[in-house]
Amino acid sequence: MKISQKFKDLHKLGKKAFLAYVPFGFPTLDDSAKIILALQDCGVDIVELGVPFSDPLADGPIIQAAANKALAQGANTDKLFTMLNSLKGKLKIPLVIMTYYNPVLKYGMDKFFLKMKKAQVSGVMIVDLPVEESKAYIKKANRFNLETIFFVTPTTSFTRAKKIADHSKGFIYYISVTGITGPQKLDGDWLAASVKRIRKVTQLPICVGFGIHKKSQVKEISEFSDGVIIGSEIVKFIDENSCRKDLVKRLSKHIRSLCIK
Amino acid sequence: MSNKKIPDSRGYFGEFGGKYVPETLWACLLELEGVYKEVSRQASFKKELKFYLSEYAGRPTPLYFAKNLSKHLGAKIYLKREDLLHTGAHKINNSLGQILLAKHMGKRRIIAETGAGQHGVSVATVSRLFGLNCEIYMGAEDVLRQKANVLRMRVLGAKVIPVCNGSKTLKDACSEAIRDWVTNVGDTYYLLGSTVGPHPYPYMVRDFQSVIGSEAKKQILKKEKKLPNYLVACVGGGSNSMGLFHPFFKEKSVKFIGVEAAGSGLNSFNSASLTKGEIGVLQGAKSFVLQDKFGQIKEAHSVAPGLDYPGVGPEHAFYKVTKRAEYVTVDDRQAIKGFKMLSQQEGIIPALEPSHAIYYLKELAKAAKNKIIIVCLSGRGDKDLDIVNQYIK
Repeated sequence: MKISQKFKDLHKLGKKAFLAYVPFGFPTLDDSAKIILALQDCGVDIVELGVPFSDPLADGPIIQAAANKALAQGANTDKLFTMLNSLKGKLKIPLVIMTYYNPVLKYGMDKFFLKMKKAQVSGVMIVDLPVEESKAYIKKANRFNLETIFFVTPTTSFTRAKKIADHSKGFIYYISVTGITGPQKLDGDWLAASVKRIRKVTQLPICVGFGIHKKSQVKEISEFSDGVIIGSEIVKFIDENSCRKDLVKRLSKHIRSLCIK
Repeated sequence: MSNKKIPDSRGYFGEFGGKYVPETLWACLLELEGVYKEVSRQASFKKELKFYLSEYAGRPTPLYFAKNLSKHLGAKIYLKREDLLHTGAHKINNSLGQILLAKHMGKRRIIAETGAGQHGVSVATVSRLFGLNCEIYMGAEDVLRQKANVLRMRVLGAKVIPVCNGSKTLKDACSEAIRDWVTNVGDTYYLLGSTVGPHPYPYMVRDFQSVIGSEAKKQILKKEKKLPNYLVACVGGGSNSMGLFHPFFKEKSVKFIGVEAAGSGLNSFNSASLTKGEIGVLQGAKSFVLQDKFGQIKEAHSVAPGLDYPGVGPEHAFYKVTKRAEYVTVDDRQAIKGFKMLSQQEGIIPALEPSHAIYYLKELAKAAKNKIIIVCLSGRGDKDLDIVNQYIK
């Protein structure tokens, strides 16, 4: 399913999107498919699947540790696509790959995108690939009909936000803080004003991520944005419950407690 | 000061370099680039930098004709004595340049990464000099291997933050410094110590280090009335080597040799990114990177903490593919031999990093009898006595 279609559907229902980030291969390689399907079952609208990288510059300790654990257990790009292929027919919501540039570059962008397409992945976002370095990337993503999501942050100028929006498809990822991933106190009024400013340069949905870790934040940010992204909070919960047999069940319960639907 | 076409306006040296950074950093890289271009041209900035380089750091450094070593190896060997600088290594050249920029930009807080601790000490030093707060990220393993430098940084009032991620060495310290910068970009200046990272760092650091080669060029012309045949320097991230090489870039008769660390061996753990690495993107730039087939960065190793890095500056990658420079390797054991050789021949104890270059002279001299060779003695070896002592045991 295309991300843009998902937002259209949500819009018709008057609903906001809830996006969940989980790293591939965490807590174990076998858990990923189960976790993704569980996210779908408890009302997540879009899954953001992290492809672990050894040196994640924009990630805080929680996601760093998860990536290291996944890599230590042998998570790699081939296994990622095997897992994604196993979801075909079962996953009805859009799935977006989130990673850093080097794993894509090394695998070969064409090969990476082709496999994404075959696995019915909807879109891709690369944390350390600014629009200025993205010419070939966007061209290739378009060829494979993949939606390219870019980031806007509190340090992004207005003119630059427009440039980024012009290169984006699916939605704009607004990073709520000047900083890395992980729980934060967020200033709702300031965020609302920021999102409003970005609306002036784009018709695309704007989703807010980084720092969001509790229901009250989800509620507040959903008021003025088109969707909310939760990552570290989910990863932390998975980590704390990774030894439990009913991990997936507990996770579903936890996600439902964060969701406002 | 800088070469006009290289890098281009997007920060590319040929196909290498660029700005592969999270969006948060884009604005400040742009600001830094603008300020650097403007300020570095100003006469007042040049004058101030020159003042501190000479009066505070001790420039110019001698180009010393190593008589005993030359006789021993059979070539004319000159040592560019960066080890005689204040704080004991070439790192202070760049740190002084960048701290003046930081001051100009009104930043109050300085952060940096360090491997061997030489860059960390130089940043702690200049931060103290200009009264700025200073925090240094250092891999936990390096904190143990380079205790003396940790103490020096602390005496200088810097906070040393041990980094326990990944291989606990330079690469991880660098990632952690970047995360800090992403978080505190408003008031913080990231004083990167090598010709690596996103544009404008590789070219800015190269410019500040080019004082090494510019001086060496004048000195050798005075002493020998001609250009040298070879320039030899160790390459980790690549700042001392690029500083020596760059001013000779257009002198096609001068051959450049960069010496990478083969660590425990080229088929084992090493830091030879140009020799054993493949094209990739690490910490903001496209260059040669030690990585596996899925693009995960490999752990580097070298007995010399300052070379212990799985990437290399993009300009070196450019020199490699255009064949402007030749890159060779020297392993841990050979580096220790180089360390001893210079100590015994000349009464100069080199740091383990340039000991790699010193050892290579032995190989080079066989093919280059009586040729003129300048080697960059990038730092002094006091910091390495513990490591060498363990090796001798």
